[in-house]
Amino acid sequence: MWVAAFRSQNKNSMQSTTLILLLGFMAIAAFYFGRGRSLALVGGPGRSSALHSLPGYYGYYVAIWAALPALALLLLWVLIEPRIVVALVISDLPQSYQELSPGELNLLVNNIQNLAAGDVVSVDVDTVLQNAAAMFNGYVEKSRQMLAVLAVGLAGLGGAIAWQRINPDLRARNRVESVVRWLLIAASSIAILTTVGIVLSVLFEAIRFFQKVPLTEFLFGLNWSPQTAIRADQVGSSGSFGAVPLLTGTLLITAIAMVVAVPVGLMTAIYLAEYSSNRVRAIAKPLLEVLAGIPTVVYGFFAALTVAPWVRQAGESVGLQVASESAMAAGLVMGIMIIPLVSSLSDDAINAVPSAMRDGALGLGSTRSETMTKVILPAALPGIVGGILLAVSRAIGETMIVVMAAGLAANLTANPFEAVTTVTVQIVTLLVGDQEFDSAKTLAAFALGLMLFVVTLVLNVIGLGVVRKYREQYE
Amino acid sequence: MKMTAMTEVTTDNLEPPSVPPADSPGEEEHSAGIVLPDLAERPTELGETVGNIHCENPFMVAKNVDVYYGDNHAIQNVSLEIGKKEVIALIGPSGCGKSTFLRCLNRMNDSIESARVTGNITLDGKDINRKEQDPVALRARVGMVFQKPNPFPKSIYDNVAYGPRIHGLAADRAELDSIVHTSLERAGLLGEVKDRLDEPGTSLSGGQQQRLCIARTIAVNPEVILMDEPCSALDPIATARIEDLMDELCEDYAIVIVTHSMQQAARVSRRVAYFHLGLLVEVDETDKIFTNPQHKLTEDYITGRIG
Repeated sequence: MWVAAFRSQNKNSMQSTTLILLLGFMAIAAFYFGRGRSLALVGGPGRSSALHSLPGYYGYYVAIWAALPALALLLLWVLIEPRIVVALVISDLPQSYQELSPGELNLLVNNIQNLAAGDVVSVDVDTVLQNAAAMFNGYVEKSRQMLAVLAVGLAGLGGAIAWQRINPDLRARNRVESVVRWLLIAASSIAILTTVGIVLSVLFEAIRFFQKVPLTEFLFGLNWSPQTAIRADQVGSSGSFGAVPLLTGTLLITAIAMVVAVPVGLMTAIYLAEYSSNRVRAIAKPLLEVLAGIPTVVYGFFAALTVAPWVRQAGESVGLQVASESAMAAGLVMGIMIIPLVSSLSDDAINAVPSAMRDGALGLGSTRSETMTKVILPAALPGIVGGILLAVSRAIGETMIVVMAAGLAANLTANPFEAVTTVTVQIVTLLVGDQEFDSAKTLAAFALGLMLFVVTLVLNVIGLGVVRKYREQYE
Repeated sequence: MKMTAMTEVTTDNLEPPSVPPADSPGEEEHSAGIVLPDLAERPTELGETVGNIHCENPFMVAKNVDVYYGDNHAIQNVSLEIGKKEVIALIGPSGCGKSTFLRCLNRMNDSIESARVTGNITLDGKDINRKEQDPVALRARVGMVFQKPNPFPKSIYDNVAYGPRIHGLAADRAELDSIVHTSLERAGLLGEVKDRLDEPGTSLSGGQQQRLCIARTIAVNPEVILMDEPCSALDPIATARIEDLMDELCEDYAIVIVTHSMQQAARVSRRVAYFHLGLLVEVDETDKIFTNPQHKLTEDYITGRIG
């Protein structure tokens, strides 16, 4: 039976693939039919100048009419089909099952679907379930057959209508181009809509959080301890949600990271752009980019297992109290991670300074370093500042290194040798494991996410503003 | 590395031809050149320089200069004297090596990694490619104005004050002020900008920017000014102002100007050097070049048959 279920699933997916391939062939055929008809109408390829558009555009016109409506139907079908099938299966179930609570019904439907697909089922399989699974498969198969017929029919119909409408005055090129334009718009709006969706979902969850915890406590509270009692009879703290320690922790680690990354990255960029020979540059730049390609989780355990003990030892040898997970260790490693970002953006900014500036300064008898510090760096400064701000937002949003190396204790401190925690670490700990999705504890993650988003957004806006304000100076 | 190679070549090769070989045929043509020579007698092939590479009061002297960019032999065996207080124009079709030669005179080719310069160039009797010569100090004595006006993204004042500052030419602010004012005045720009010295140099018009660049160069008090097509990005009115300026400046400086405009060469220069495919074809007084060129190629160029 399992094998049979597997086969049926397999057959379904095969049918969809075949259907898409078939539609593809129909579109190709439609292209040639359309092209052929346009040429036939004016009397052969030699007279294609009598057509409004090139013959190929008539082909594309017919192909679009054949393929697009059928594909739209396919997409719609795939989105709607599961709901209809599930509703049908439920209506076929015995009365006793239909009266279950929504949650249990949901579970039951899941089990039926799993059984139908041949997956593991969480309850004992009885006849009701078996029947329902068979029914489910039957409905799916029927629906697929219907889809195949409808899609192919629609493709044929669309193609035929478009083919019929071809005449030498049809503005085929303009129509095809407007379809292409809409496709491009659709593609570019996907990213934007996704971003908007993410922001909105974070925003709404955060608003739910602020209904439970006042905004002022979140923004100005000095104590972060998100443990709350889940049930009324449970003994537990009531939780306090002051985000200030998280923010200071984030800023402390970011500051340490920038102290490492900005001078090293900037000097690397200056060396590579102005002093190194082509050969050194050809080797050093890719190597730096390798540094950028190391996964942050690797940096994370490097920080936790290598740098943190080293910082602790070094600190203790000069008589300092150092926690085994310190802001210093996390910040140092994060700084190393960001060096390639700073150096590559600064390198771009320095290279963007016209070489006429360089020649002008050298021609006046400046040394290389005078040229660099007095002419090129001031001219490249907006780009460099923009790059640094981007690096700061990267550091603020960085998670893996701080999860592993900075610790979880929400200490309000400016001492880099103590354990601190960051906004991102707390979001991770709040959401890892089994959670109740309407407790203040879980919703706090969204509020923190919103705060992070706002901070990085403001930094990016400032960064872009700085870049734009000073950009025109040498152009 | 580059410098060692050049010095070696200098000491090995360049003592013997103290009289450049290009000299003798040119001299003959010169003496015979009162009457227009027969076309058949005139050299038509590339080869030795004709005319007269010498001048009365030589200040910069180039002997047998060759420049290579990687494998590309950009200029070949060029010898030329540049006099004190004279304007000499370098003309020739694009890619003929005149800008390359210009850049040899203040060692701007040093910044091009693949460039290699051999031969001997002296400034006031001293080899500019010798080991002890600091290219930075040389460029303070041999200033350069570029094809495209390239003011720094700083204020007008700071643009002019840049050179005096890095070379420590002014003891205090008042002295710096006076250098800036004198330089702007000599570049004929003071009247137009004296109320807005704090505005960025890039806010000026193209012609003003180029005069600002000249002021910036003068402020360092050089002895030679190299100009690489200084007017090619300017309109005729701005060009005329720069040409007037050159007339005034040549009372104090030697000026070497690369130009594509033969009218400009005729207007501003006392001598003209014609380059072709990396060779110096002919050098002579401006009048002679334009009225009675010795070389067929020069004539073709100035009459518009090539270039």
